[in-house]
Amino acid sequence: MKTAVKRLYEGLFLVDSAWAASEWETVLGTIRKFLERAGADIESIKKWDDRRLAYEVEGKSRGTYILAYFYCEPSRVHGIERDVNLSEKVLRALILRADHLGREDIDKPTPAELHPEGVPFEDVEPAEEPEVPAGEDAAAPLPGQEDLSEDETQAAP
Amino acid sequence: MAKVTGQNKKKKKYLTTLREQTQCRFCREGKHYIDYKDVESLQKLLTNRGKIFSRKRSGNCAGCQRKVKLAIKRARFMALLPFTS
Repeated sequence: MKTAVKRLYEGLFLVDSAWAASEWETVLGTIRKFLERAGADIESIKKWDDRRLAYEVEGKSRGTYILAYFYCEPSRVHGIERDVNLSEKVLRALILRADHLGREDIDKPTPAELHPEGVPFEDVEPAEEPEVPAGEDAAAPLPGQEDLSEDETQAAP
Repeated sequence: MAKVTGQNKKKKKYLTTLREQTQCRFCREGKHYIDYKDVESLQKLLTNRGKIFSRKRSGNCAGCQRKVKLAIKRARFMALLPFTS
């Protein structure tokens, strides 16, 4: 009998911030349960960050992201996504192949570890003009295009 | 004669810097994968309404622009970046 090869996946799960703050162990347990039901071998599971969402998801404006790396059979990843969709607690999940990642990428410190006190979303808003590298002289915006961008800015409600 | 050599040197240096500068920001860093969780660097490639800058504006090469597009769309799905604002 041929056994399917398990591949490394990266999963980012979004849960409500209030639920994560009050019952952190339950949150981790829920995600572990989803992964284990699909026969996944969990490599690491940790809090990625707690931040304000760019838009409301199911009426929630703050969310906690949980980053998990796990080995799983490709045919069973769909089962994890189905479990997440059926769950009312987990708002979103994105599962991607992570074969290209090395050990140092997996162990890289998360924003939650780098800024334990939390960085509000507003602090990372883009500047008025994006940073165009010095080298992109040839790729400098055309005058017409610049105007278009400015018009768009002014058209904000 | 020495003056000509100096001019040549200057020209050569100028050409070298130009060649270095023609690479896009991700190619210069030697990145093969653009992470959708790297919100800070992706936000530099968006207008303040949340639209993706053109290649001409951002200076990205075609391949990196496609990787950026994919990363931004993944970040939008996870509510890390806005679809529009």
